[in-house]
Amino acid sequence: MPWLEFLDVLISGLTNGAVYALMAVGLTLIYGVSKAFNFAYGSFYSLGGYLAWIILVPLGLWGGYATVFVLAVPLLLGIGFLTEKAVVAPLRARADWEIKVMMLTLGLALCLDNLYQVVFGPRMKSLPAIVEGSLELGGVIVSNQNLGIFFLSIGGMLSFRWLLNHSRVGMAVRAVAQNPQGARIVGIPEKTIFAATFAISTAMVGAGGILLTQKYFVSPTGGWDILVKSWVITAFGGMGSIQGALYAAFILGLMEAFVGYWFGMSWVLFAMFGLLLGTLVVRPQGLMGKWG
Amino acid sequence: MNVQRMGTAMGVVFAVMAVLPFFFGGTDHVMHILIMCLVWGIVASCWDLIMGFAGIFSFGQVAFFVVGAYASAIFALERGVAPPAAVFLAGMVAAACGVLVGIACLRLKGAYVALVTFAFHMVLEPLLKSPMGRSLGTGGSRGILTIPPIEIFGLVFDADHKVAVFYLALILAVVCALVIWAVIRSFWGTAFLALKDSEKFAASLGVSAFKYKLGVFALTSFLTGVAGGFYAHYVGMLSTRMLGIDLFVILMIMVVVGGIGKFPGAILGAIVTVTLNELLSPLGPYRPLTLGALVVVLVLILPDGVVGLAERVFSGRRSGASRDAAPAL
Amino acid sequence: MLKVHELDAYYGQFHVLKRVSLSVARGEVVVLLGPNGHGKSTLLKAVCGLMDKVCGRIEYQGEQITGQNARNLVNRGITYIAETRELFPLMTVLENLKLGAYSQSARPHEKENLEAVLALFPRLAERRRQIAATLSGGEARMLAIARGLMSNADFLCIDEPSLGLQPNLRQEVFRIIDAIHRQGKSILLVEQNMPQVSALAQRIYLLEEGCIRFAGDARAAAENPHLREIFLGM
Repeated sequence: MPWLEFLDVLISGLTNGAVYALMAVGLTLIYGVSKAFNFAYGSFYSLGGYLAWIILVPLGLWGGYATVFVLAVPLLLGIGFLTEKAVVAPLRARADWEIKVMMLTLGLALCLDNLYQVVFGPRMKSLPAIVEGSLELGGVIVSNQNLGIFFLSIGGMLSFRWLLNHSRVGMAVRAVAQNPQGARIVGIPEKTIFAATFAISTAMVGAGGILLTQKYFVSPTGGWDILVKSWVITAFGGMGSIQGALYAAFILGLMEAFVGYWFGMSWVLFAMFGLLLGTLVVRPQGLMGKWG
Repeated sequence: MNVQRMGTAMGVVFAVMAVLPFFFGGTDHVMHILIMCLVWGIVASCWDLIMGFAGIFSFGQVAFFVVGAYASAIFALERGVAPPAAVFLAGMVAAACGVLVGIACLRLKGAYVALVTFAFHMVLEPLLKSPMGRSLGTGGSRGILTIPPIEIFGLVFDADHKVAVFYLALILAVVCALVIWAVIRSFWGTAFLALKDSEKFAASLGVSAFKYKLGVFALTSFLTGVAGGFYAHYVGMLSTRMLGIDLFVILMIMVVVGGIGKFPGAILGAIVTVTLNELLSPLGPYRPLTLGALVVVLVLILPDGVVGLAERVFSGRRSGASRDAAPAL
Repeated sequence: MLKVHELDAYYGQFHVLKRVSLSVARGEVVVLLGPNGHGKSTLLKAVCGLMDKVCGRIEYQGEQITGQNARNLVNRGITYIAETRELFPLMTVLENLKLGAYSQSARPHEKENLEAVLALFPRLAERRRQIAATLSGGEARMLAIARGLMSNADFLCIDEPSLGLQPNLRQEVFRIIDAIHRQGKSILLVEQNMPQVSALAQRIYLLEEGCIRFAGDARAAAENPHLREIFLGM
């Protein structure tokens, strides 16, 4: 493999890995805090993509992607919060709520995907690049788009980590994840925290959608691939472990890029599940599982 | 639901089904729907057995069905096996897949099991379309056409003889339902309850998670595989489109409508859902949207399915007073 | 300050508290004695809004508070202090303390309370950056009490603070509870150690099989033959 091509694949893997990290952390967050599993996660990815498309293409609003983030992220937060309050929270009182939440969100996913299809049509939509042009660094050409996506994802991750570690809400979220009863004792509104984590995770996967669909396309069912990838990353890294999801996302992003380059994209899925199964057989809790 | 009432409910459902051909025998379309009710009834009951009773979040049931269907078609077409034997062999193939998936899930919990089983579902489509799948005879993305129908003693069970197919499906469904019923009321049923409650405690009582989990994987995937094989020979053609998310959700609606862990609710759920899906077909592209919304609404307002609802009405009328007084024991 | 009137509480179908009545006056330390599993913790949890199935009447400062959730009660100044199980194991001592001041009413006083608490528990001040899960049993117990104090509560429900501690640490816990009491807080305490209790408590209740079997001041308790038999083996 020529050196330059190797770097190309490496950069692509790192870029995707960064976005995957953002999305997998969102998924692991809900599981870590409330033990709920969200099957509609991928549909919110598509939603992010469609929101970006609406703002950039038909509306053509001033400000490009900056406007997209300013408008879409609060909207996604709101949608996530309301979704949790409306359909997930009522199930929590039941003994078998875990499987009920899975079923319900699976139905929601089907509903949303077909809603997109009805509203936007089955044809894929393409988005403009976040930044045009490319950069040359010592003979290696890196597209600015990849760089932009990479740094925005990392920025998103870092600000999320800061929020989680230092803000009052972040501390409350960790408190609920570690000890729900203890959180109740100190007066943390547990139910609001559940809804808030759902909202944050929706915003994270939506942001992932905004960042990644410009490299690929927006399509009504494009989210399934993302759901499976985020899920595999989450399980590989250890459900509920944010650190684990971070490492796993980069490992899988790179693996995807290299397996895709050497063997073709159709092998990526097999390789991914192979790696996951191998890991789970040795370590059922994933790389760094602690809460799950 | 107690065992006796379970049996009565099952008997009533199948008895009603058995006389329906006398009214609709001439209408091919209705007969097709009735046959599919029975086939999906088997699959949904199996799913309910593994998920509702054994508490394993298996999301691979559609995949086992497709494995059974493809295996049976391939045995019949490529190896010239007689269809009834092919259906049985297909069940064994599905059971083997089930055991393999079960081994992968053995040490896992909750959402991880859902992931691994769903992963099997996700991998199956590219696998069937891959060169390896094509070399086995899956036909790639074209699928398999011209699958021979089941023939027993000169009787042909194909799409032209729907009443005959229906009764064969009914026999199959009754046998499967009896097997599931027997499992639930046997020591297995108790072992599942214990495992669902606390695996560690069950192990200390001598209930082996290994044995029962793999057992239930093997049994449910065998029955599902047989249903898949039966379906393949009845319809006569297969494609990977069955692995789409629509069918998965429809199957899930059956279980939800019937009530999770409320056997034989799943059979009832299958009948209601197949009929409903048929009634919704004029909606065209809005149908899957409606189905999805239906799942959300049903899970919220009908958490224990029709069986749970019936139980609530039933016990409410009989012992409502004593239940209200219960907290003041 | 707190009046509990004919309270019933249930765990599922299990009837734990049966028509329990009790009261705590402002600035009082009231001790709840009783064998394990007879409903002492349940009573504390019911008062603090941590039980789902409760009927009867609970009044705090003349206002009806039955059925309110823990969050509202923490805001009103009622805090539950569990032994150690309810700490946040993967957070530092300091983070645990800060979360103790999560409620609206405690937030404005977070700084001064933190200083006061760290002065009261010098060990915790030393270990403020340490992860809670790595604390020793005694330190974790101190942290639980300290976190409760961070809520700025006037009324503390303390659940078996000396359980499982070695004697010198036990003395330390009682010294601290005494110090808290001197700051003017009212305390409802679940305890088993009769000698220390009688030194600390103004009044004592005995809870057996979910019913109050004895109520009286500390001296009366020391002379009550039934109590002596249970707790002193005499």
